[in-house]
Amino acid sequence: MLFFSYFKDLVGREVTVELKNDLAIRGTLHSVDQYLNIKLENTRVVDQDKYPHMLSVRNCFIRGSVVRYVQLPPEGVDIEILHDATRREARGG
Amino acid sequence: MVLGLRNFTDRTQTGEALLDTENGEELMHVQSGIDIVFNTFPRQSHGTLYISTKQVIWLSDVEKDKGYAVDFLSISLHAISTAPDSYPVPCLYVQIETEADEDDSDYLDSASNAIQNLSKIREMRLIPSDPTQLDTLFQVFCECAGLNPEPNDEEGEEHDWIFNTDQIEDEEAEEEGYNSHNPANSLGQSNGNHDLARSVLEVGSLP
Repeated sequence: MLFFSYFKDLVGREVTVELKNDLAIRGTLHSVDQYLNIKLENTRVVDQDKYPHMLSVRNCFIRGSVVRYVQLPPEGVDIEILHDATRREARGG
Repeated sequence: MVLGLRNFTDRTQTGEALLDTENGEELMHVQSGIDIVFNTFPRQSHGTLYISTKQVIWLSDVEKDKGYAVDFLSISLHAISTAPDSYPVPCLYVQIETEADEDDSDYLDSASNAIQNLSKIREMRLIPSDPTQLDTLFQVFCECAGLNPEPNDEEGEEHDWIFNTDQIEDEEAEEEGYNSHNPANSLGQSNGNHDLARSVLEVGSLP
């Protein structure tokens, strides 16, 4: 549940979600669930030349299993919290 | 499970979508007055959308043998599209995961403009006659997607690599064996090195 709780703290921030089919969508993180399904608001496609038909959508729901990367804002990455969380996870809870 | 879009012809006597209720499938939402578009194919009008706990079904109101379905497990993303530069009318944009290769485009029979292979369709647009229904459709899609996690994604997500109790015993035995033999092992190894050194010497001293 490490990433679930971590992503929950990023709600309201601007992230870029890169899908396994190479589509990258930027938007405000609206919510995330336990399967890492991601809801974005005010989205836009990063590579607009490649996906002109998806220029802009208002809300977007992305299935967790198709996500390859989530790019976080640098100020949203708290290394201390991540260290602690990964250690806790490694100890089994 | 088969990925992608497929034909759907199971209807009740009154023409509604016939669900697999015996296996727990439940109807979540019905919306009439929905047009559907696949990739860049022509818009198909006059349909009813059935959203169940497992899948999305579109049935033509006019042609009773015409219908399509896609499982939530195959839906990569869905989004509300209202920008005219994306599509001329407000719609729910749905991206479908397929088993087909990315650049494979032989689903299109250019002569007849007919869809040859539904399972290769990667994009679907659902156009409600009343655009204010889009938010509801979006929410229902979100809810149902949450009901359909990846089949191998165990809840609790604790993967501890032990498959049965025999294996635990084996592992324990192995571990004990390793510990008790450890000094002997290092001794044996040093013996071995001596042996090796000697045989090299012997080989080297041959005329």
